[in-house]
Amino acid sequence: MATLGRLDWYDIARTTNWTPKYVQEDELFPPEMSGSMGLPLSAWETYDEPYKQTYPEYVKVQREKDAGAYSVKAALERSKMFENADPGWLSVMKAHYGAIARAEYSASTAEARMVRFGKAPGMRNMATLGMMDEIRHGQIQLYFPHEHCSKDRQFDWAHKAYDTNEWGAIAARHMFDDMMTTRSAVGVALMLTFAFETGFTNMQFLGLAADAAEAGDWTFSNLISSIQTDESRHAQIGGPLVSLLVANGKKAEAQKMVDIAIWRAWKLFSVLTGPIMDYYTPLEHRKQSFKEFMQEWIVTQFERALIDLGLDKPWYWDQFMAEIDTQHHGMHLGVWFWRPTVWWNPAAGVTPEEREWLEEKYPGWNATWGKCWDVITDNLLAGKRELSYPETLPVVCNMCQLPINTTPGPAWKVRDHALDYKGRTYHFCSDGCQWCFEQEPERYAGHLSLIDRFLAGMIQPMNLGGGLQYMGLAPGEIGDDAHNYAWVEKVRAVREKAKAA
Amino acid sequence: MSEVEVLKPLKTWSHLAKNRRKPSEYEIVSANLLYNTRDPNAPYELDPDMSMNRWYKKYRDGGPFQHDDWNAFRDPDELVYRTYNMVQDGQETYVFGLFDQFNEREHDKALEPTWGGTLARLYTPGRYLFHTLQMASAYVQQMSPASTITNCAAFQAADSLRWMSHAAYRAKELSLTFPDKGFGTGERTYWENDPAWQGFRELMEKVLIAWDWGEAFVALNLVAKPAVEEAVLRKLGQSARHNGDTLLGMLTDAQLLDADRHRRWATALVKMALGKAGNAEAIKGWITKWEPLADKAIDAFCAALSDVPNAAADAKAATRAFRRTLGF
Repeated sequence: MATLGRLDWYDIARTTNWTPKYVQEDELFPPEMSGSMGLPLSAWETYDEPYKQTYPEYVKVQREKDAGAYSVKAALERSKMFENADPGWLSVMKAHYGAIARAEYSASTAEARMVRFGKAPGMRNMATLGMMDEIRHGQIQLYFPHEHCSKDRQFDWAHKAYDTNEWGAIAARHMFDDMMTTRSAVGVALMLTFAFETGFTNMQFLGLAADAAEAGDWTFSNLISSIQTDESRHAQIGGPLVSLLVANGKKAEAQKMVDIAIWRAWKLFSVLTGPIMDYYTPLEHRKQSFKEFMQEWIVTQFERALIDLGLDKPWYWDQFMAEIDTQHHGMHLGVWFWRPTVWWNPAAGVTPEEREWLEEKYPGWNATWGKCWDVITDNLLAGKRELSYPETLPVVCNMCQLPINTTPGPAWKVRDHALDYKGRTYHFCSDGCQWCFEQEPERYAGHLSLIDRFLAGMIQPMNLGGGLQYMGLAPGEIGDDAHNYAWVEKVRAVREKAKAA
Repeated sequence: MSEVEVLKPLKTWSHLAKNRRKPSEYEIVSANLLYNTRDPNAPYELDPDMSMNRWYKKYRDGGPFQHDDWNAFRDPDELVYRTYNMVQDGQETYVFGLFDQFNEREHDKALEPTWGGTLARLYTPGRYLFHTLQMASAYVQQMSPASTITNCAAFQAADSLRWMSHAAYRAKELSLTFPDKGFGTGERTYWENDPAWQGFRELMEKVLIAWDWGEAFVALNLVAKPAVEEAVLRKLGQSARHNGDTLLGMLTDAQLLDADRHRRWATALVKMALGKAGNAEAIKGWITKWEPLADKAIDAFCAALSDVPNAAADAKAATRAFRRTLGF
């Protein structure tokens, strides 16, 4: 070989810090944009990214990855996957694309923040590749669902969701804007790449890929596994930064940002990924339960990463552990009940066999969530579908923007975490969400939740119809039961069989 | 609510369906992707007055560079991520093929030691300059008001990383032939102290803090980059050929293909912006403000290229010729 190996010149390519002369260092790297916490440039030069890739390697590998993903799609275009898929699976795809595609595109902006304002040269280079990755993830996750537009109006929401005031879109924007687009370079590295991408994207992209493979949706499975290979590279931007901050006496600052990001990501995943994995994915294709995925990816792997890098478990860890058993069941019940307010058709996922599975995975499910579903099921069996629809909107949290809910039954302990701040009362679903607010109230105080807007008269008429219009949802795209209530007949058959016996 | 219209599936995204023609892959995956332009009061879904919202309202929305529909912008090359990698993997295969072949032929050993010294002073320190282009492009990326603009700026940032990487690669390789010239170690000193670089250093340090997005775009794409490209790529490439360094000449030619693409999108954006009253004056004002610094940078750098006749004058004329094609 007459060309140099990558490591021969890699270090030179990340020796790019210089001392500014014609402008001040704080002008070149405004502290609010770089988040540098007063550490000198020399401290940042010790930053060492563990995943090293050069520009020529990047364009080659990424070209090959795309060739793979697009050719699998092309090969399977006539496979009738769409026509043959369980409606619950189509809902998984709709929810995923709508919530994820443009958020990923937006992440390219956050990566660009690290390219421009990061003080560590290695970070600036890796974030350049990360910025490109996120453009890929935005574009490919728009290109793939686009072919379904002509079959189902809800697929329009793969693009449209983020342009609307649909409640899930508000919640997703609020969370992603809080952990990525409005943060400094250091904030992005800690919150987006380390906390969110190291921990949570594995859940969405590897967990869901496993379910997709089980469901026979190879295009989707292959696509999101391919995306995760990028994530696993640029997610490593954050790790060395944690070590650097801990070594320079900034552990508390790093810990706080990581804690906020994990909590916020958890809440969004409880409404997006939890229902997808435990209710929408057809029973026979569920690889593991949401809780099992959470335990594998977040509790075991991510917790270890935190400790290894010198951070502690977040202060709310016990509460978090308790919630991975319960929170998403309430979110799912809410999403199904308020199904006209989403851009996909939620699958109820509560046939007798599915309830058995839920009881096995979540002991006590029947005595709690099951009781609520009993009421819904009884109404549907009695032909009173109108009683299963909402008439107004639920109270949502001023941090996660999601309905405030907890486990029903004898242990019912829903409570409003109210906080008065500068003359306004805020409502939170949990200690975690209230704590996030209290860390920096000025980031959030002036934001109005969907319910705040409703009560302020910004949504007219003040009923569900007005709400749907405000959310950009019209007949033809509003959600309803994924299986058009066919599951109710399964329940009826089982009950009649039991009666006959 | 008696006659409720039920929406039917469309052939494409609803925002493109209005165009009544089949959209291209480029449009499907590139147009209208930013959501931070939907609410002028709060670009991001948090307190409208939190610091980053103020930054965007001031520097993106509040400046003189305005258009009613930035989303109408289209990259004339219609590059998407997928095709960018195809193009640039091909380009890198070409460049690394050059590195390979010239290394095989012991190209560097045939260079005069004095030219080796010139490369250590005038070429490899360029990685600092190219890196500033990478950073400045990433700023335009994050501040642009439409995804079709954002993508062009992102690819431009990646291309700048590419140029920087070539300089790093060559620094290492040249250090093997010229161990005493400070390749791979001395670039920062040249960048910070050598008179040849101080013009570009001043220009780019100042461009990097041009926070208004319109000014950042004009200063970078219409003034600073053309200056870098004409002086540090084209004129240095000519000097290289004059000194038997065919490799550097071919390398800068390859990089100038990227630069041509950057000028194409910048040209298209300016052309679109000129449709709105006020933008011509804003652009003109920024060019007037930044041109002297760019000229000074060209003068300082080209003064060191003693074997290229009229280097500075030619380079400055070329930057003006480019701006003239835009009407300035």
